[in-house]
Amino acid sequence: MKQPPKLARKLFAVMSGAANVDDLLGDMDEWFHENTKTRSLVSARWIYWKQVLSLSFSYALRKRRRDARHPVFATWVSFGMLNNYVKVALRNIYQYKYFSIINFFGLALGMSVSLLLISLFAYVNTYDNYHTNGDRIYSVYSSVTNGPEQTDFATAPIALADKLGAELPSVSKVLPVVKAYHSVVRKTESIPVKAYYAGSDFFDFFSFSFIRGNGTVLGKPNHVVLNERTARKLFGDADPMGEMIELGGGVLMQVGGVIHDQKRTHLNFDMVIPIASLPPKHADFKNDWVEFSNQYLYVRLTEEADEGDVQRYLDRMAGQQYAASAVKVSFDTRNLTAIAIDKDLRNEIGEKWEASGFLMFAIFAALILFPACFNYANISIARAMGRAKEIALRKTVGGVRSQIFLQFITETVVIVLLSLVGAMLIFFLIRSEFQQMLVSGSSLDLTLSPRLFLWFLLFAILTGLATGVFPALYFARMNPIEAFKSRVVTRAAFISLRKGLTIFQFVLSFGFILSLFAVGRQYRYAMNFDFGFRKEQIIDVSLQDVKAHQFMAAVAPLPSVVTMSQSSGIMGVTSSHAWLKDIRSDSLETAQMFVDRNYIYNLALTFVAGSNFPNELWSRERYIVVNEEFLRVRNIKAPADALGRIYSVEGNDLEVIGVLKDFHFAPINIPIRDFIFRENPAYCTYVNLRVTPGDSYDIVSELEGAWKQLPTDKKFVARYFEDEIYEAYTVYVVMLKIIGFMGVLAITISVLGLVGMVVFTAQSRTREVGIRKAMGAGVQSMMLLLSRDYLMMLGWAIVIGTPLTILLLNWIMPHIQYYHASVSVWDVVLSVLLLLTFGVSAMTIETYKTATASPATTLKCE
Amino acid sequence: MKHYLGELEELVLLTVAVLGNEAYGVSIQKNIELRSDRRITIGGLHSTITRLEEKGLLKSWVGGATAERGGRSKRYYEITSLGKKAVAETKSLRDNLWKESGIKLAIK
Repeated sequence: MKQPPKLARKLFAVMSGAANVDDLLGDMDEWFHENTKTRSLVSARWIYWKQVLSLSFSYALRKRRRDARHPVFATWVSFGMLNNYVKVALRNIYQYKYFSIINFFGLALGMSVSLLLISLFAYVNTYDNYHTNGDRIYSVYSSVTNGPEQTDFATAPIALADKLGAELPSVSKVLPVVKAYHSVVRKTESIPVKAYYAGSDFFDFFSFSFIRGNGTVLGKPNHVVLNERTARKLFGDADPMGEMIELGGGVLMQVGGVIHDQKRTHLNFDMVIPIASLPPKHADFKNDWVEFSNQYLYVRLTEEADEGDVQRYLDRMAGQQYAASAVKVSFDTRNLTAIAIDKDLRNEIGEKWEASGFLMFAIFAALILFPACFNYANISIARAMGRAKEIALRKTVGGVRSQIFLQFITETVVIVLLSLVGAMLIFFLIRSEFQQMLVSGSSLDLTLSPRLFLWFLLFAILTGLATGVFPALYFARMNPIEAFKSRVVTRAAFISLRKGLTIFQFVLSFGFILSLFAVGRQYRYAMNFDFGFRKEQIIDVSLQDVKAHQFMAAVAPLPSVVTMSQSSGIMGVTSSHAWLKDIRSDSLETAQMFVDRNYIYNLALTFVAGSNFPNELWSRERYIVVNEEFLRVRNIKAPADALGRIYSVEGNDLEVIGVLKDFHFAPINIPIRDFIFRENPAYCTYVNLRVTPGDSYDIVSELEGAWKQLPTDKKFVARYFEDEIYEAYTVYVVMLKIIGFMGVLAITISVLGLVGMVVFTAQSRTREVGIRKAMGAGVQSMMLLLSRDYLMMLGWAIVIGTPLTILLLNWIMPHIQYYHASVSVWDVVLSVLLLLTFGVSAMTIETYKTATASPATTLKCE
Repeated sequence: MKHYLGELEELVLLTVAVLGNEAYGVSIQKNIELRSDRRITIGGLHSTITRLEEKGLLKSWVGGATAERGGRSKRYYEITSLGKKAVAETKSLRDNLWKESGIKLAIK
């Protein structure tokens, strides 16, 4: 008798699993035999195959499979069952206190950083979500292509505004904004303010609430709207309405409204001024399509507008406007609600949360959370033996896979939820410190709202599910017969995976320790960096409105003042730029600083050729002093060759009179570039005093005394140069804190994991140790026996972690700082020692207990 | 509960009724293919049968193994009273429509 194809039968058997398909098989056989009578064997088999495939993916088979999987009495999770799961979970947590505590701490620490991330993200996510019709408001931004370089700016030319409004029916309103930094003259003080010159619809676009007045005042020229903070700064508690304020340059404005301090917005301003009041010299932007820094455009679309229309119009517009120019610009839009966490653009209108920063933070949070979750899974699976009988019994009396799975998932979720309490405690502790570290932290509100709490809860449950899925699957698959016989075999691949992950944890901890040492070294390096000039005993005094010669005359008689000079900036901290033309009219941008002729000696800079500015009466700029890099960039070989060359700067022909050895005129995170000193006392805003060593407080107060004699109301502003530099590098202090904190978390979590594993090994080998001791083994050899595997893992972690961390640091450091210290052998040695100390001490305590236990008691234990 | 029958569902129910005691997978499929002159897949047929069983319009029992079937038993189907009601309702709905349509739709 002819037989149907075997392979098809096998496939069908696999597809149907436990389902009862006898009748279906019979039907197919019957068809087959009938077909063999009327058709060829090949054709009959072909039909059989088609039938198998047709049935395999049919609803009929799916339904039968499902019925077979769920016995009648286990339909789905009922509330009572869930209740029981939680009860069993709590009992288990209570029964295995030691492991529960380890898991609790590990998970709490691991989740704390993630909570920070979530709270931050949840907060920033609410930015600009309260404006009426905010979903229809878009900001136009530009992408500038200059040669091979493409840069995205948050700005867009205001010249586009009128065209958009007039030519595009999808746009219902256009709002131009120009950002400007002003100072408001108030009595004798000058208070800096961030101002937006904006179209009259500003408050129609953005729903900020008014305390006094309303948004329509922007329709009148010379009326401004302040926020509460600025109003208080300018007028104290007095009513600001109708008051006049004087902007720098003598422009008078009337206060027409006060709004509540704006929060949760990408806009950052103190004052809004009608765009009609823009000073005439800035107001010629109406046709300027090339220079549009600090200009912003917002559009509100009509309800039925099509975004594609707007984009097509912008593309066409850009094509027309920049057809002839070398610099290509294209425009794009982004929705108001998305601006705050959108990609990073240059020249943003306000402070923005950097998307890249969020990503970095998320990676760090994951690096901390992941080991904690892994610890849990690792310890649970290692303890499988202990619970194998429980599971086997459940399975034997009819528990199905999904129930065992749910039991363990529930257990994980319960312990993660308990840990959430601990994580939240840590979150409250580190919250304020974290806020201080962030640049825009002051505007941040991380208080726990019900909404945020729900986010936390959701996060904890998801973490629990993700953590629990592996152990739960493992337990659910357990074969009851083997489990009863205590023959649960763990596959070799699984063990090596576990080992690999443990090593990964230690690599992570080691990486943090080593980074901590490296950043610490970098910090000391920056502090003691040889800038190539004198930074000790220099006090920089900001002149403000005082004439330099007056101040210098006033302090010259003081005994503590040794020498004096003037400069336009602070060396090593700030710098400005100028365009320099050589005789062939090739322009190159160069860093510059204005000084007087004493400056170079005062800061002990050294000449390699030429001399200082001549000691003759200064009438106009005639000379420049350059650095070595200046020569290198312009291909001048010998320093002496440079002398006498003429460069044109801002219309003045200046002669090179001296060449200085390179020095760090800018912060050391950027490389030394070409630099010129120009002699022009008119531009100098600082006086640099070299003072005698001595009590800095006395010296500063002496100077302040002299300042008070001068005809000025301004406050005396003086800083020790060293302090200035110290402050410029506080970024390292912040980094040290972050890495330190993360490092402590990572180390604690991995040590907790290690303790868990060692305890487990020690417990499961208690009898073996007892027998060995009875046969004469010593405590030391027993401790070694118990911890040998883990010592190996520590060793591997160091072997892998060292090159990895060094590579990473060598890659990151130059991005942070151009001149940087490299990781030294001592850093590595110290990190290794530290890691070993933590690891070995954790192991020793645990193994010692088992190794010293008397064999008489341990051998009786079962 | 009212059941709206799909076209194939109706066909299957009626065919089961026609076949009486001899309604099982192969005979149902053959009968439908013969009468309606169209091919149906075995998966499609059994899915329909399964859905009808779920709705309680069909019931089944096992029996009658033959040699061609490799000794495997057949699963016989029988229309339930609920199934009878469902086809009857479908029929009366159609009849009404026929009646009220007024035009002679009979084939010339």
